[in-house]
Amino acid sequence: MNWEELVFEAKPFDGLLVLDVHGHIGAHRPFQLGAYSAAQVAQTATRMGVDAVCVSSLPSIVSDWKWGNEEVAQACRDFPGLILGYAVPNPYYEDCDIAPYLSMPGFRGIKVHGDMQGSLPLNDPRYFAAYELADKQRLPVLFHAWLPSEVAAATDVAKRYPNATIILGHSGMTARAAAVQAARECDNILIDTAISSTYDNAIEVLVDKVGADRVVYGSDISFFDCIHTMGKIALAKLSDTDKEKIFGLNAKELFRL
Amino acid sequence: MLNFIDARCQLGRRGIVREGEPVTKSDILELMDRCSIEKAIAYHAMAKEGDMKAGNDLLLQETEGDERFIRQWCAMPSTFGEFMGAEELAEQMKKHHVSSIRLFPKTHGYSVKPYAMGKFMDVMAQCHVPVFLTYAECGSEDNLYSLLSSYPEVNFIISDASYRENRKLFPLMEQCKNLLLGTGNFVVHGGVKLICDYFGAERMIFDTGLPMGSATAAVALICYAEISEEEKQLIAHGNIERLLADVKL
Repeated sequence: MNWEELVFEAKPFDGLLVLDVHGHIGAHRPFQLGAYSAAQVAQTATRMGVDAVCVSSLPSIVSDWKWGNEEVAQACRDFPGLILGYAVPNPYYEDCDIAPYLSMPGFRGIKVHGDMQGSLPLNDPRYFAAYELADKQRLPVLFHAWLPSEVAAATDVAKRYPNATIILGHSGMTARAAAVQAARECDNILIDTAISSTYDNAIEVLVDKVGADRVVYGSDISFFDCIHTMGKIALAKLSDTDKEKIFGLNAKELFRL
Repeated sequence: MLNFIDARCQLGRRGIVREGEPVTKSDILELMDRCSIEKAIAYHAMAKEGDMKAGNDLLLQETEGDERFIRQWCAMPSTFGEFMGAEELAEQMKKHHVSSIRLFPKTHGYSVKPYAMGKFMDVMAQCHVPVFLTYAECGSEDNLYSLLSSYPEVNFIISDASYRENRKLFPLMEQCKNLLLGTGNFVVHGGVKLICDYFGAERMIFDTGLPMGSATAAVALICYAEISEEEKQLIAHGNIERLLADVKL
């Protein structure tokens, strides 16, 4: 693969499996996003040659869990195969049952974001019902894990639920030492690449520490444009094999595609 | 293929380095080559972090005879003779082929209000010197508005606007035609196209923030933006070339 030609001629990443494990759809209250509808995310993914992007609904995290999860279900129906879904639990509702979503077409896992749910630790027992589902069904759980404390909570969950796969969102870039330690302690932990800003060579350092098998491409679209992280990986000083694993091969297994 | 001029690059030994981060001039040149960046506007870390005058002198030494770097000095208004006065600054810039300045009002602890910036900015305006600073260095959007609206004849290149700032940034761009946005960390989904559609491609300037920012990400954002080839050329190098050609020191 000629990665420089790909990027500088702005070619879509066709012929390479690209699975984005970290996406969102839906409006966001505190600040204005760019393009955030499912149709807009799907349009960008198609234009860039992304094979699938797994999304959660932002309103499902910060507001009405049911409304938001329905929004994702609709997106999975509208863009089958291209938009995949994470079901989001709300720990404040005893009647919050995400199991029905996990049996719907397109849903591939669970997303948890304690920071936007009242700064609740992600190993709070109120999340355990969701983790039990993930453990039973051997599903991935994408953690918002920006801080070392969130990585610690995710590590606790990974140990309690060894059949679930925990994806540490962001922390390979924001709390790398903690994320690397977590990945070394738990075989069921992966680290994604989502970050708004970082420096060149950061992904290479992460791969050097945990291996390319443990790193997955995540963009955090629609908070961010997926393009900058795709460019960062494409132009990184990594082997073709490592880039292929990060862009899609690792997540293919995870999402059972 | 696009060729880029990077409008935000720092040279020199800095205080804090993250693991794996580029450090040396040759590290930066390797990334520039990898990313099709022909030239970079560079200031010196010492001028930001330590001794401004010594840092500006180090920049001259480190870029002597090197055509890949366009010299930029860090500057600030002189108080009690701490830094050179505005006229002397302009003379020294001309003498040493320095074509723009970068401000760090937050880091260096001064106000950007007209009462503090007056004489200094008047001289920069007379000389058509582009003024660079990051969004966060202004402290607030109201400070930024005060600075931009007080000196409408000065072109300000404001970089590193977070993806969270749209509701503040867009009104500023609408009101202040002298605000040009650095693209480096503007990662809003579809953001480059949004700015082009609302304000025009002439309002964006390519930058990376090297070595702390990512050049690979920065070039990808422009290469893949849903805008015309002409717009990409303007952002990649045309706009900054126009501003630098207009400097009258």
